[in-house]
Amino acid sequence: MSKAILIDTTRCIGCRACQVACKSWNVLKGETATFSESWSNPRFLSSNQFNRIIFREMTHPDGQISWHFISRRCMHCNDPACVSACPVAALEKLPNGPVVYDDGRCIGCRYCMMACPFQIPKFQWESAVPLVRKCTFCADRQAIGLEPSCVTTCPTQTLLFGERAELVKEAHHRLGAHPGRYWPEVYGEKIAGGTSKLYLTAVSFEELGLTHRGFRTDLGDVPQGIYGRQWMSKVPFVALAVGGLAVGLHYFNKRRAEVEAGEHKEE
Amino acid sequence: MEKWYPGMGELTFGRALLYILLMLGIISGVVRLFFGLGATTNLSDAYPWGLWISFDVLAGVALAGGGFTMSAAIYIFNLKKFEPLLRPAKISAFLGYLMFIVGLFFDLGQPWRIWHPMVMWNPHSVLFEVAWCVMLYTTVLGIDIFIMALERWQKDTWVRFFRDIYLVLVVAGVILSTLHQSSLGALYLLLPEKMSDLWASRAIGPLFFTSAVIGGMSVITLESLISSWAYKRKAELDILSSLGKGLAVALLIYFAMKVTDLYARGATVWIMDKAHFFFYLELFGTVALPAILLSFPEVRKNEKGLLTCAGLAAFGVVLNRFNVSLTSYGGYRQFSYFPSMVEIIITVSLLAGGILLFDFLTKNLPVYKSELT
Repeated sequence: MSKAILIDTTRCIGCRACQVACKSWNVLKGETATFSESWSNPRFLSSNQFNRIIFREMTHPDGQISWHFISRRCMHCNDPACVSACPVAALEKLPNGPVVYDDGRCIGCRYCMMACPFQIPKFQWESAVPLVRKCTFCADRQAIGLEPSCVTTCPTQTLLFGERAELVKEAHHRLGAHPGRYWPEVYGEKIAGGTSKLYLTAVSFEELGLTHRGFRTDLGDVPQGIYGRQWMSKVPFVALAVGGLAVGLHYFNKRRAEVEAGEHKEE
Repeated sequence: MEKWYPGMGELTFGRALLYILLMLGIISGVVRLFFGLGATTNLSDAYPWGLWISFDVLAGVALAGGGFTMSAAIYIFNLKKFEPLLRPAKISAFLGYLMFIVGLFFDLGQPWRIWHPMVMWNPHSVLFEVAWCVMLYTTVLGIDIFIMALERWQKDTWVRFFRDIYLVLVVAGVILSTLHQSSLGALYLLLPEKMSDLWASRAIGPLFFTSAVIGGMSVITLESLISSWAYKRKAELDILSSLGKGLAVALLIYFAMKVTDLYARGATVWIMDKAHFFFYLELFGTVALPAILLSFPEVRKNEKGLLTCAGLAAFGVVLNRFNVSLTSYGGYRQFSYFPSMVEIIITVSLLAGGILLFDFLTKNLPVYKSELT
């Protein structure tokens, strides 16, 4: 059965322990913090940063200000575009949920980066032997019966790890029990064919202004990879059709020229 | 046939410049391999694909479409009058694919793993199909060049063998080209949400194929006119004029396909912004305009006319590839992209190398002989 994480962003306090736990488990190097107009630190995911908390400050018409803390990491889609795209099958969706990356296969073509609708895979640009990096859903921890390190660390139970079907039910239960608290949608339930990361937010991602920052809402329910697979399924037929047509036309036109030449000779 | 290399005896300014550009490219290539993509390019997580994909890969393959186009015209449609154009077309196509492969080599994060798609398969991936078809088709083109070399070395039994199986090579070439020319467009089927409405279409595969036919025919015309000027030969105007007619038809078909596609998807066409500017330039300036001009026999029978129209059409194919991959690409957040010096130098030096190699091959191989396969 496929696992998932329910991310109830209304519980998040923006402590960023999940960022630290992830870096710690994956042995990623730290970065020097820089000031910006945002409290988000760091500002972007990278080959060294598999998850981060986006800090969003929103002002209401009555003058009230509210904070929203949104965790960004790989969605581990049910039908990942990256898995469809990779020419050497370096990315694979495991049956228990994680979309994992094989360092040994990747040729660095970066098509996965182009294909991912959530802009997740990042590249080791600074390396002469670069690889693609992203959240692994702690596949190695799951393999030994542990929960992902971000989930284990989270002090407010913003992150809940479990069976996807049950977490979807739990998400809808929360939407029903506290309708004023949430935007009535479970982001990740259906989008792009459904993902293993399920989000509950206080307001929509459009209102949060995050639709161009990794949380697209215009994707529909169809997994992007399907378009590539549909194309590929037609390839053998196109090859046969073109081949047949080419051979046929060659002999047809050759015969036509012979007949014409014969007619000219008779004249 | 003499043994000759470009610049032997007399090194012209032009050839010296080409050699310098080639040298700069080799140095840049070594720097790129040792220091990595981050240090040498302006590619980023927001723009993982840049100049090398847009030009070297996409435009390079499209402009090299002359090989299969001429092959099909002569061997499948029996248009024997184009035979003198076949061998130069094969040379241009082969060099175009070489340029693509070398350009790709520098773009890949781990170029020494370029062989991986041969043994690591993902039959669902469009890029996997592109990799295989390009590999096989470059082999077919390589065999074509090999046949010319065999003729020069007078290995008559081998030459006869290849002439006997030539139809196999032609059909294989047409199948492989159809598949990968359209599949290069199909790569973008996976990311319609990141692209402008003007180019994101389910019909992008057939559109890329048609523009590859256009690219092939226009490059053959340009190459024929430029090399007759460079080698001080008479231009084969009546063949090129017929080819010009074919080019006009292809351009009109492409125009019709594009307009139908835009209407079917209800795309917003008549507004002005950066993307629309490049769209108008592409569709009206480099597709409709040469098509209209080429419909006039005075334009078609005139060297300058053919040069202008073929030049516009070829530029249009390149512009289309840039439009699909860069103009249309929504990028991510506020980032933008412009190629670095290393990216530009390597691309330009690939062109320089291609020209030098063309010079070398056309002088040392029976390319312009009257007797052909």
